[in-house]
Amino acid sequence: MHVVIRPASRGWLRIDQHLRTLAAYTDLLYTLSLHRISVRYKQTVAGVLWAVLQPLLMMVIFTIVFSKLARIPSEGVPYALFAYTALLPWTLFSTAVANGTNSLVTHTQLITKVYFPREILPVTYLVAALFDFVMGLVVLALLMAWYRVPPTPYLLAVIPLLVLLCAWALAVMLVLAAVQVRFRDVGVALPVIVQLWMFASPVIYPLSVVPGRWRWWYDVNPMTGIIAAFRDALLQRPIGDVPALQAGIVVTAVVLPIAYAFFKRAEATMADVI
Amino acid sequence: MIDIRFDGVSKRYRIRRPAAAGEAPTPGDFWAVRDVTFEVPHGETLGIIGPNGAGKSTVLKLLSRITAPSAGTITLDGRVAALIEVGSGFHPELTGRENIFLSGSILGMKRREIAAKLERIIEFSGVGSFIDVPVKWYSSGMYVRLGFAIAAHLEADILLVDEVLAVGDAAFQLQCYERIGELRRQGTTMLFISHDLTSVDRLCDRVLLMNAGVIAAAGSPRDVIRAYDQMTDDNSAGRLADAAHVAMPGAARVVDVTFRNEHGEEVRGTRTGGPLCARVDIDVLSPIADAVVEVFYYSRDGRTLHCQQTTALTPEMLPLWEGRRSLEFTCPEMGLQPGVYAVGASVRDRTSAAALDWWYGTRLLMIEPGKNVRGYFYAPHSWRWADVAERQRHSADV
Repeated sequence: MHVVIRPASRGWLRIDQHLRTLAAYTDLLYTLSLHRISVRYKQTVAGVLWAVLQPLLMMVIFTIVFSKLARIPSEGVPYALFAYTALLPWTLFSTAVANGTNSLVTHTQLITKVYFPREILPVTYLVAALFDFVMGLVVLALLMAWYRVPPTPYLLAVIPLLVLLCAWALAVMLVLAAVQVRFRDVGVALPVIVQLWMFASPVIYPLSVVPGRWRWWYDVNPMTGIIAAFRDALLQRPIGDVPALQAGIVVTAVVLPIAYAFFKRAEATMADVI
Repeated sequence: MIDIRFDGVSKRYRIRRPAAAGEAPTPGDFWAVRDVTFEVPHGETLGIIGPNGAGKSTVLKLLSRITAPSAGTITLDGRVAALIEVGSGFHPELTGRENIFLSGSILGMKRREIAAKLERIIEFSGVGSFIDVPVKWYSSGMYVRLGFAIAAHLEADILLVDEVLAVGDAAFQLQCYERIGELRRQGTTMLFISHDLTSVDRLCDRVLLMNAGVIAAAGSPRDVIRAYDQMTDDNSAGRLADAAHVAMPGAARVVDVTFRNEHGEEVRGTRTGGPLCARVDIDVLSPIADAVVEVFYYSRDGRTLHCQQTTALTPEMLPLWEGRRSLEFTCPEMGLQPGVYAVGASVRDRTSAAALDWWYGTRLLMIEPGKNVRGYFYAPHSWRWADVAERQRHSADV
């Protein structure tokens, strides 16, 4: 193995090289992700139930507040189902971003002592959030049975949508985590940002209530297209708003490589400032 | 074949000094390492010594890619691993066994590799049946030993060792030395950073002395350690020594220091409060009119705990004539606590205080538990009742 170490100002744009290095660390990625999941449930009494309970409780609260009290329309679907189908991908995104952003500063000890590609830390939290998502799908299946919604081939759209969602979550995590190392303000502001972001995405209300003149700005947020498409796929219907999803794909495809290069640039001196 | 090559490497830290009242903070640059160039050929063990803040740890951080250099190029040939105590990578909820996998992967081992070495790691750590208990129930000693056991079983072409030997008890340290020796014999290239000059002398083929971010000296362990000693010796005697060295060309070399018991048999040490005889063999190369011979006992971190010297006992002159001489220090009751100590010896010229030779041996002094010690050392003492008549006096050793 021949390694040449140079100053940080060179080579950080070589994403292909970063990926090759990362490939050598797949074992660590696997072990850490497994560890993340097992530790998360080891000290809690309800264990895996918590993975399911979080979106479920939110669904109940949202149903009471937004449907029964605020009377928000839900496209003719039972509001509980309407909310849950969006909460599932949203919870994946928000959990991954919240934990991933803090993942570097909570592992200061490791970062200042050992080298490994630092992106592994945020990625393991994404994997853990994915695990929760799969658990949540089981509950969705029960909900759908309860509301008598039979599964159709539309459900298969979930797989590519999941890839897109993870890619976007990863882009956001990488940027926020790298900034958080230098400016801890990010961690403090994060809960508010995530909360606002949820209301700026069609989680509790349908896309159709957003006024047309706001739509361009609204669709730049990849979560708009992703959440709407997820809901359509999970409710067994064709994707209704294709332009919003296309915008999401374009934004993700542009932002993710930039976010990764930015992260790698910050990585070079991370141990000095963390 | 060159395994490690540093080519004009510098590392600059930007420092923001805290603002004084009403002033803007003044950013400044601090060069932790400045234009450092060196090479380590395959199979060599290179030591780096120097005072705190000299840049030793920065060199290690640059090598292990924890931080990137500000200028220059580092070239590495082979798989690099850092022999550091990674108990910090442990998760308290996981068992020792689970943590071996976690910590091993963090250090860059493959899962298959860890599984193959699992038994050896557990055995090395000595935690025994505790291996399946969450590490939060471990004593701090077990924690550290397990962390180190994992690191010691890394398979690497280049091994970076940073101050790890100050870990655990004497027996575990010996085990660590053996393991490092084993890796050396297997041809692992090593970079060893330590304040423990005895270990540096024992383990390294070559040593770099760093000071203020640059290489101040390089060469054989003994020469560089002597240079370091002169650099740090900031008392007036030390400074005088340099000047006097030229004027008084008396020369001697300490060859060895050995220990004997009360029967004259060679031993590795004694027990606390037990008798000990230290014999210093000296090759006198040219006559010294009035010499001072000293034996030093050091702690692991290099502090002088005890020194026995000829002048303290004999006010008259001690001339040393050419040839091999042996000098014995006899101590009826050695006061050091149980443990392993490094041993050194020196020959000085009395009038100038110039160090003619300073020997950091490969010898270790083993002190077994003997007299009960609370505090830092044992001192011979007795007791009696002071409030009764002389004829009723009792006395006893404690």
